[in-house]
Amino acid sequence: MDDDGLVASEFATVRVSLDTQGNSPRLRLEDLRSGAVRFLDALELESIVWAPEGFLRELLDPSRHRWRDDGSAGGGP
Amino acid sequence: MTTTTDLRSRVEPDRVHGSLYTDPAIYAQELERIWYTTWVYVGHTSEIPQPNDYVRKNIGPQQVVLTRDRTGAIHVLHNRCSHRGNLVCDADRGNSSSFRCPYHGWTFANTGELLGFPFNQGYGGAQAKERLAGLGAAPRVESYRGFVFASLAAEGPTLREHLGAAAERIDQLCRLSPEGEVELTAGWVRHEVTANWKMLVENETDGYHPQFVHSSIFSISGSGIGALYSDKSTAVTRALGGGHSENDLSPEFRKLGVPMGWAGTPEARIPDYAAAMRAAYGKETGDEIMINGSPHVMIFPNLFIAEIQLFVIQPLAVDRTVQHVTAIQFAGAPDLNRRLVTQCVGSVGPAGMLLADDAEMYERNQRGVAQRQPEWLDLSRGLQRERTDERGFTVGTATDETSMRAMWAHYLTLMDPA
Repeated sequence: MDDDGLVASEFATVRVSLDTQGNSPRLRLEDLRSGAVRFLDALELESIVWAPEGFLRELLDPSRHRWRDDGSAGGGP
Repeated sequence: MTTTTDLRSRVEPDRVHGSLYTDPAIYAQELERIWYTTWVYVGHTSEIPQPNDYVRKNIGPQQVVLTRDRTGAIHVLHNRCSHRGNLVCDADRGNSSSFRCPYHGWTFANTGELLGFPFNQGYGGAQAKERLAGLGAAPRVESYRGFVFASLAAEGPTLREHLGAAAERIDQLCRLSPEGEVELTAGWVRHEVTANWKMLVENETDGYHPQFVHSSIFSISGSGIGALYSDKSTAVTRALGGGHSENDLSPEFRKLGVPMGWAGTPEARIPDYAAAMRAAYGKETGDEIMINGSPHVMIFPNLFIAEIQLFVIQPLAVDRTVQHVTAIQFAGAPDLNRRLVTQCVGSVGPAGMLLADDAEMYERNQRGVAQRQPEWLDLSRGLQRERTDERGFTVGTATDETSMRAMWAHYLTLMDPA
């Protein structure tokens, strides 16, 4: 992560920042390629830390959420 | 297609035929029988120090990705999407647990496993992952002291068998670090020449050319290295087996008896390094290592360790070759490393004087060898005075063509195993 909170590779570009607008701080994640934004609170972050490796592998399947063609809700922030 | 019978008639003990450098059919055969069969140097573990680091590398014209997965295991993957064959990775380096092809979004773990693809109903659902291919992987990947090699053949000699005595030269290099490790972290310069790859391999341990081709840099820098490549020198050219060879200048460095004399660097300029070496190995051994110097060894077919810099040879066509060059860095030696980078910029950097000399010779040589007469290149220098040393290696004087003759003999065993 650089000083501007940019986490980037050739595959994705996400800006990470701390958001303090709420009653507790949250992490703000912005996908700079689409503009989509998601907030993660402390408990959600802790849950990710403790999630098994397979959890992230499932998220990385493009058809899992973002690019679905089975008629179900694709999810998203 | 050239037959192997043709090849045997083109390589003789003291001469080789010019077509070996110019015939596209022979080049195609070399890719299959040498580059896609034997162990080829790919990269160094210090280039992918963290879990999920990756760098783009090559095995001849094949583009590969050297990865370290989350468990630390190292993989050499073909940079080719299993869907439509697009290049998956474009950046020279990065950190990512997975790679997503930019064409249709097929996504792979950095182990090569297919993780998924968009709109999977077109394939019958997510379970299609089980039947669809992941990224291709080199069937054999092994490392020696951080130097990662791959073989695209499923079976064959082990890496240690392939390296043979050349492994000792890697040991010699690593011992120059107080921590016993080399780090290839200085960045790479890419030199492309219009020449056949074997001209480069032969030149790397050709001790006959430096006094002529490199006389300008030797005179400007005041280096005494050039004089070591003469018939009066106690330095030798040694065939190490397996097509590997070296110019062993250490007898001269031992005569000189000065720590770091081989590098032309007075100890006063690198006091921290000298102290660290003596602390790590003891005074006597530390001094011996610093006096003995760094290897000058060509590890067939593509790794050339030239004292302070490292070259990786990459053929792209019968008359097109790239040398990837970096300054060698030693773990625990920051003051020495700074000097090595500076020295390498002067010798092999974009405006460096050493590699530019060689590049000119490579390209002239490629043009010259395409001329019709005489058809053969002479390899006889020193044949009459070659000897076998105490370990059974063939040795010539510093300027003899011992290494070239040995390389061609090994070449035939790969190109025509019968």
